[in-house]
Amino acid sequence: MGNNNVALTRRGTNALTRKVEPVNSYVTPVADVYETGEAYVVKLDLPGADQDAITISVDQNTLTVRAALPTFHREHAWMIVHEIGRKSYFREFRLGEGIDRDKIRAEFVNGVLTVTLPKVESLRAKEIRIQ
Amino acid sequence: MSLIRWNPTRELTSWASDLWNMQREINRVFDNFFRGGVQDDGSLGLSYWMPAVDIAEHDNEFVVKVELPGVSKDDVKVTLESNILTIRGEKKQDRETKNENYHRLERTYGSFQRSFTLPSSVRSDKIEAVYKDGILTITLPKAEEAKPKLIDVKVK
Repeated sequence: MGNNNVALTRRGTNALTRKVEPVNSYVTPVADVYETGEAYVVKLDLPGADQDAITISVDQNTLTVRAALPTFHREHAWMIVHEIGRKSYFREFRLGEGIDRDKIRAEFVNGVLTVTLPKVESLRAKEIRIQ
Repeated sequence: MSLIRWNPTRELTSWASDLWNMQREINRVFDNFFRGGVQDDGSLGLSYWMPAVDIAEHDNEFVVKVELPGVSKDDVKVTLESNILTIRGEKKQDRETKNENYHRLERTYGSFQRSFTLPSSVRSDKIEAVYKDGILTITLPKAEEAKPKLIDVKVK
C-alpha cells in the first residue's frame, strides 16, 4: 500500500533504544493514518485532552504526540464504573523521507487530533496531460 | 467471565506485559464467543463499538463521563427511564476520508449504545449533559430522599 512513509511505533517495540516512560502513566491513543495525493494524515483520538496541553514534535525521523490530561474526577468520588482512568497520552510515528517538515499542521476538534504532513513537491500526485 | 470492558490501549512496560496480554487476549476470545456477537441484521458484531465510561457517585449527584472522540454532539442521545441511563448514538466516518489510501485504521466507527442502572433515584428535571473535547459529561443530581443523611443517635 504505497510507500510506507508514515510508519507506526507502538511504544514497547523500541523499549531498548528509547527512554522508557514511567509504567502505566499514559495510554497509547488509537490512530488512523492515510495518504492523499498531497499529504499523509494522522488522526488520533485524544478524548479529554486540553488543546493547550497537547505537544506535537517532529525531529529527524519521528513525530511525537503527547498530551497530559486534566484531573478527571473531583475528590471523594465513589467510582461505580471506572473504565477511563488515565493520566496522559503518548504515541510516536516514524517518518520517512519526502515530508515537507516546515508545512506540518495540526487541528484538534471534538477530541480528535488531525496532523497533516504534506509531501514534498516532487512526490505529490500529478496529473499528466496526454499531448 | 467478568463484566470489565476490554481496553486494548492500556499497556504495561515490562516483559510481564506479554504474558498479561496473552491472558487478556484469550479471555477476550472466550468472552466474545460466549457473548455471541451476532447483530440483529445477522452480521457479526463488528459494526458497533462501546465507548469507555466512568460513573462517579458524589454525596449529591452522579457524574457520568463517556469517551466519544470524533462524535458530533447532534449524533448522541441520552435518555433516562426509571433509573436506567442510556447513551446511544453513532460515530460517522468523515465523508472526505472514506476513499483514501489507508495505512492504519484503528479508530472505530458506527453505532454505540450503553445502559446503566443508577443505584438511587435522581431528579430527572435537573439532568445536564455537556460535550467538550470528545468527552460527554452527564450530571444527575440525586433525589432528596437518596442523599446521605447524618442522624444523631443519642447515647443514654
